[in-house]
Amino acid sequence: MDTQFVGEHLRPGQLGHFFVITSFVGALFSAFSYLWAVRTEKSAPDSSRTWLLFGRSGFVAHSASVISIFIALFYVIENHLFEYHYAWEHSSLSLPGKYLLACFWEGQEGSFMLWTFWHCLLGLVVMRTAKGLETRTMAIIALVQVCLATMILGIYLGPDIKIGSTPFSLLRNTMGNAPIFAMPNYLDFVTDGNGLNVSLRNYWMVIHPPILFLGFASTLIPFAYCIAALWKGDFESFVKPTISWSLFNGAILGTGIMMGGAWAYESLNFGGYWAWDPVENASLVPWITLIAGLHTLLVYKSTGRALTVTMFMLLLTHLLVWYSTFLTRTGILGKTSVHAFTGDGKALTYHLLIVIAILVGISVAALVVRWRKLPRIKTEEGILTREFWMFIGSVILFLASVQIILTTSIPVWEPLAKWITGKEFAPPVDPITHYNNIQVWVAIIVGLLAATVLFMKYKTANAAALGKRLGITAIIALAMTIGIAKGQHISTWQYQIMLFSASYGAIASIYFGILVQKARFKLLGPSVSHLGFALVMLGVLLSAYNKHAISFNTTGENFNFEKRTAAEKAKENMENVLLFHGVPVPMDDYWATYVGDSLSMTGKDKIMYYKVNFERKDFKTNEVLERFTLYPDAFINTKGQGVLTVNPSTKHYWNKDIFTYINGGTLDKAKSDTSTYLSHLLGKIGDTVFLKNGFMVYQGLSKEFKDTKYKPVSDSDLAISAKLMVYDSITGPAKEINPVYVLRNRQYVSNIEDTVSTLDLYVRLENIIVKSQDSVLIELKVRQTDPKDDFIVLKALVFPYINVLWIGVIVMVLGFFISMGARMSDVAKTDSKALR
Amino acid sequence: MKKTSIILLLLIVVSLSVIVSVFADFSTYETFTSASKNPGKKYYVIGYLQKDKEMEYNPQKDANHFYFYAKDKAGNISKVVFNGEKPRDIEKSEQIVMMGYLDGDTFRCSRIQMKCPSKYKKDMVAEGSAS
Repeated sequence: MDTQFVGEHLRPGQLGHFFVITSFVGALFSAFSYLWAVRTEKSAPDSSRTWLLFGRSGFVAHSASVISIFIALFYVIENHLFEYHYAWEHSSLSLPGKYLLACFWEGQEGSFMLWTFWHCLLGLVVMRTAKGLETRTMAIIALVQVCLATMILGIYLGPDIKIGSTPFSLLRNTMGNAPIFAMPNYLDFVTDGNGLNVSLRNYWMVIHPPILFLGFASTLIPFAYCIAALWKGDFESFVKPTISWSLFNGAILGTGIMMGGAWAYESLNFGGYWAWDPVENASLVPWITLIAGLHTLLVYKSTGRALTVTMFMLLLTHLLVWYSTFLTRTGILGKTSVHAFTGDGKALTYHLLIVIAILVGISVAALVVRWRKLPRIKTEEGILTREFWMFIGSVILFLASVQIILTTSIPVWEPLAKWITGKEFAPPVDPITHYNNIQVWVAIIVGLLAATVLFMKYKTANAAALGKRLGITAIIALAMTIGIAKGQHISTWQYQIMLFSASYGAIASIYFGILVQKARFKLLGPSVSHLGFALVMLGVLLSAYNKHAISFNTTGENFNFEKRTAAEKAKENMENVLLFHGVPVPMDDYWATYVGDSLSMTGKDKIMYYKVNFERKDFKTNEVLERFTLYPDAFINTKGQGVLTVNPSTKHYWNKDIFTYINGGTLDKAKSDTSTYLSHLLGKIGDTVFLKNGFMVYQGLSKEFKDTKYKPVSDSDLAISAKLMVYDSITGPAKEINPVYVLRNRQYVSNIEDTVSTLDLYVRLENIIVKSQDSVLIELKVRQTDPKDDFIVLKALVFPYINVLWIGVIVMVLGFFISMGARMSDVAKTDSKALR
Repeated sequence: MKKTSIILLLLIVVSLSVIVSVFADFSTYETFTSASKNPGKKYYVIGYLQKDKEMEYNPQKDANHFYFYAKDKAGNISKVVFNGEKPRDIEKSEQIVMMGYLDGDTFRCSRIQMKCPSKYKKDMVAEGSAS
């Protein structure tokens, strides 16, 4: 007989399951209806119209179901229904409300749902705006939604084959064999969930995934439009909407990727914003092919050339998003990625491979069938025309993405290579240098092209005007390059060229925007986005070339063409510095002093904040010019033994960032503290006790003091406190402490210790010895933690001019939106003309 | 021949040569023995922490020196020196991937990746890096 379990809330799960099924059926119905609408388009326009309406209602029903699944799952998480595996795995009672959404997409199923959700919203917009291409684009979108819906279906076909994994499975079903689940009241023992991974507990986790997934999701729209154009054989009407969608896509995906960079920079200890990590690469590559496709599409619109390449790039972009999902979700990257993704095993691998196969099949079939009908222009483009160089730039972007994906995919093709060569291939030992050494050339060429094509014209060439403008730009850029290279000590010639390329790009964009386009806002999109790209290059170069650890003075090893021996490089790795409590250590221009820590508790999670003072002093006068404090912190996991998860702390200047994080230290002071109390006898006012880094002056006894810890019990109680001024050579100003001595009926009952946490000083008033009216001795017990027992291991890095990078990203995204706005208002105008 | 074709041909030649050089950059997974044939050259070695042998990290002496013993897949045991802090939870690791080179009897590594078993997750990849 089945056990009746107590206290479970099964309704939200059942509803959730129901909506998972309806979302799947809705998408399937919509895809078929749209397909039939296309098939009956010519033969029976009336029934085609009916099918179209069926398709629409199917998609609306599907979207409503997806939103309902969202609500059901959120209800489960928000109400801490730990009988559901998803809530138990990803949330906990103590988790602050703002992270409840983050738990939602921490898991596999939740992030698939986020993706599906964005597809629904974008699909509804396409449904309203695609007009003649609606049936075909929507058939593709609905088909992709069918594929995504299977990911959260969680249905068993036979005992071994499981399709998808539902977020509504119960804890007792997923961990069914544990003896606890034999008890009907098992929920009484499941009192709290696992909680969100501490390294993800960050506001970036709330905002980054939705933006990135919107970026991934919007690659579907250009994909759908391209397939629709091929399907219909109409290579005219898809152009304008595809340009607008690609611009939107470029802006959002670009923002999402760089938000990931900002997150990594701000709160993770990778030591930077970009590490060429496989997961980062997997999201960058679709963006690169998208940008290539966008540019060839612009060429096609103006000249009728490059359609085949455009189709190829835009179709590839969406396929690459699926490939990224395959790389990052199935665990195939395993030992090569720092991102702690876990594989969901073989089922997901095959599932994703099938979906990819379907989408590749559709893309290839559409291209092959229409291959001969794709409009091409036989004549040759002029060597000084915009279309020619834009085309070359796109090809180079494509080649760059090939290189990145080739190296990233080593774990994918490694078994094949082993079979052929017998060697076990591994990623490059120094991946950052590997990518930088190749991609720096791509950046140089693309930077130069991006600036140059601005001045060129489609179809015609005006060599004289072009030469003059480019000449002026090059001269200014050269001067700028020399200035920056001198000022920033950029001596490697490869990076001097990159610096020139970035300067040239920035100057050209500004020159073109202001002097040629006369700063007309609607036209400014390209020059603004190209300016942003140039600034990104400049920011990357300046911050990475001169990035250096100041906790041990070295220059960044990864950004260097020089070949050095492994031993020299290993030496440079020594970037950790040991800071004893209260002992100033020189770091670059600063003196760094570890002055104390404080523990913060939220629920059962402990965060230790380490306070590190930085002071910059004048060399001669020793006067303090500048002073600031950083609080790098560490999460102390209660589950493991003293597991540290660290968050850096950064001091921002307009021209550089000082970035610090803890690599180790004394975790448990009580254990390591070996100090004991020492006695001191004081008689006269002004008597002094010397401390490890300061001193303490006796100022007399008093019956009046404000210590909240003291409460008189009876009338005969008498409390006396000693007034002591503590002078601290580290934190400066004097601090008064008042240890208390309590008497009852003239007998000693207790004392209250006083402390100075920054000095780790503990003072107890042990005894009051009255010799005569004038001579009163007090005995103090003083204990101070040995600084040798209290230390942190710190790493501090300087990133110069990193703000140039962030500003560049913002400017670039702004450029995309300006272009998109201009294109959309154009579309609206032509539409209203057509109506009239 | 068309200009476009010439430029495309050039690009193909350049990218082919880049790809060849990229392959030269790829590393291989080795054992301590096979890595010792090329002392000073960096490789990846997959191994297991020898929990019965000593390991030491004393930040008060040197915050950038951690050593332990590891056994590679072929069963050879070597001393491993890591110029950095001790990776958290290395005691619990099931498998470690070490990137470094052989210097005499010692494997000097500059990056360590660990696979840790977890009660809740099937596996977890953690990393200690000194770069």
